[in-house]
Amino acid sequence: MELYLICEDSLEGIFTGIYEAYVTKRPHDEVHIQVGEEENLRLFAEYRNITPDPAKAVKVARTIGQKFGGEAYMSICRALAAEDNSKGEAIYKMIAGGLSMKNPNDIMGNLADPYVLKVFELDRFSGRETHLLTGFIRFQELENGILYSRIGPKNNVLTFLMPHFADRFPMENFVIHDEKRGLYGLHPQKKKWYVVTEAEGFEFNPADHTYSEDEAIYSELFTMFFHTIAIEDRKNPKLHRNILPLRYREYMVEFK
Amino acid sequence: MQIRISEEMSMMEKLGILADAAKYDVSCASSGVDRKNNGSGIGNSAAGGICHSFSADGRCISLLKILFTNECIYDCKYCANRRTNDVPRASFTPDEICNLVIEFYRRNYIEGLFLSSGIINSPDYTMELIYQAICKLRNQYLFQGYIHVKCIPGTHPDIVQKLGLVVDRISVNLELPTAQGLSELAPNKHRKTILAPMRQIQQGIQQSKKELVAYRNAPSFVPGGQSTQMIIGATPENDYQIINVAENLYQKFQLKRVYYSAFVNTTEDSLLPALAGGPPLLREHRLYQADWLLRFYGFQAAELLSEEKPNFNILLDPKADWALRHLEKFPVEINRADYHTILRVPGIGTKSAERIVRARKSGALRFEDLKKIGVVLKRALYFITCSGKMMYNTRIEEDYITRNLLTVKERLPFDKDGITYKQLSLFDDVNFQPPEIMTRQLYDGQSVVLGQL
Repeated sequence: MELYLICEDSLEGIFTGIYEAYVTKRPHDEVHIQVGEEENLRLFAEYRNITPDPAKAVKVARTIGQKFGGEAYMSICRALAAEDNSKGEAIYKMIAGGLSMKNPNDIMGNLADPYVLKVFELDRFSGRETHLLTGFIRFQELENGILYSRIGPKNNVLTFLMPHFADRFPMENFVIHDEKRGLYGLHPQKKKWYVVTEAEGFEFNPADHTYSEDEAIYSELFTMFFHTIAIEDRKNPKLHRNILPLRYREYMVEFK
Repeated sequence: MQIRISEEMSMMEKLGILADAAKYDVSCASSGVDRKNNGSGIGNSAAGGICHSFSADGRCISLLKILFTNECIYDCKYCANRRTNDVPRASFTPDEICNLVIEFYRRNYIEGLFLSSGIINSPDYTMELIYQAICKLRNQYLFQGYIHVKCIPGTHPDIVQKLGLVVDRISVNLELPTAQGLSELAPNKHRKTILAPMRQIQQGIQQSKKELVAYRNAPSFVPGGQSTQMIIGATPENDYQIINVAENLYQKFQLKRVYYSAFVNTTEDSLLPALAGGPPLLREHRLYQADWLLRFYGFQAAELLSEEKPNFNILLDPKADWALRHLEKFPVEINRADYHTILRVPGIGTKSAERIVRARKSGALRFEDLKKIGVVLKRALYFITCSGKMMYNTRIEEDYITRNLLTVKERLPFDKDGITYKQLSLFDDVNFQPPEIMTRQLYDGQSVVLGQL
């Protein structure tokens, strides 16, 4: 009988699921990892809920790092940030297949394997969005000098964005707010960054604060710069939409 | 010429004038330098470069691209800021530039500064002002982001040298592909004064790399390398001449990038061609395609074009065009051929070629695997075999493949502007050349171009 392990949508949850899958000692094609609840239950299948366990997750993470190397580990982490229900299954099967390879170090290159390909695609999906957001994020200055930014990404990329901005603005107090997931990335001046969630009771409502005096001036200046720099003879709306998708524009001052 | 002081002008007006005047500089790259913040001040630099927005013409906005001033003593025919052109003039003060950069950067609008300038008094005087402003930005405002400065031809080597130590990239614009075109349209600029700073920067970069090997903390000189820009379609050079110039710049001057800028007529000077169909965007696109072939695909300029065939095919991209003229090299066996051979197949780019070479270690690849990897099979299928078999029963025959390739519509980055689509017919000639807009006599061949470099 097929066994479905239902995991929480987090690195810890899915890694614990993979650990439990190995504990069952059943053939890999009979065990599946499922992220979140399933709407259509299968009749001849067993379902088991998995509670995230940091100790087990760490063991899986260590194995991945040792067998497949750091590059593959980072790919898996980025794939885990992607919004896709089949990510747990793809990562589990990729690991299972990879451990039996002659040269597990080269696992991410084996794109002819459908699971590796899936992980590769998810890695690319969230990796690209992270990269785009490093450019497309817009901070607004509040009256107390804090820089505040809203994002609504498809993937859970906040933790990948924070190191970039923390290095860039060591002297700034800034907040990046993921509206879709209720996450806040906080960086106090000269200190380390961290993430808090709305579920933990943290709340930050920019409506409680007013923007600084300069904010309107610089956003207007930039908007004007943005329109001036375009060359009339070369206007190209279709290309524009391809390279700067509309879903990012609602958060950008120059499109307001 | 008198310099008008424009203190009373608002920041909004100034930025409007000086951004508008800078927009024809193509370069927007913020790549090539990986620098962490040192824990104080503001800014860092990412090696891959970051685009912060895209303007309505589809060009990336990465750097705050402005002129220091649009006052100019020169009279280049193609330039909107030429002395004899009646446009509003403005100048920034160093503090205005610094403030603008820092406040834009904090809000993550930009990745850094691209500062260029019209010429006041003399090139040396102007570049010294620019140097002072950049020093202020680096030392007083503690800015550690990306800075690109345009070097005015004829600047004293000492100024170039000290400027190179505070900026990430310097570019000297070649403006026009040949010296003859330059002397006609930019009478105050000379080929020699353009190439001299290029050579100096090249040598400075090499020297700096050696020093960095010996002393880890040696100052780095122009770490982002140098680039240049050529105007396409203002003078009658053909594509062969242009890519030869580009190839020489890459090989002999080790440039990071050569930018091509389709000529936009802003001054309506009688010496300039009238462009009925708008800027020559398709031609610019073909030149960029060829440029990529030179830099990443191991092609030589002489393989792509020749004296007899001096312009790119308007119906086919340069790589497909090359492949069709060299069918004896095909088909290529995907599971055996080396990386460089695979790279020459139309429909396979650098990324898919790398993936193929890596993936086939774990087992022979099939056509369906190639598709997933990212190969454009509808273009590649005529040129490859997987484990000895073609995908379909296709012939290695020029006319046959050409006909089939032409039915796959090429994805061009612009709409119908710049190209006239037409119904394909039996009488189509693939070697069809674009109508010669300019009737003036072509310059005397390659020797002119190559002799100068």
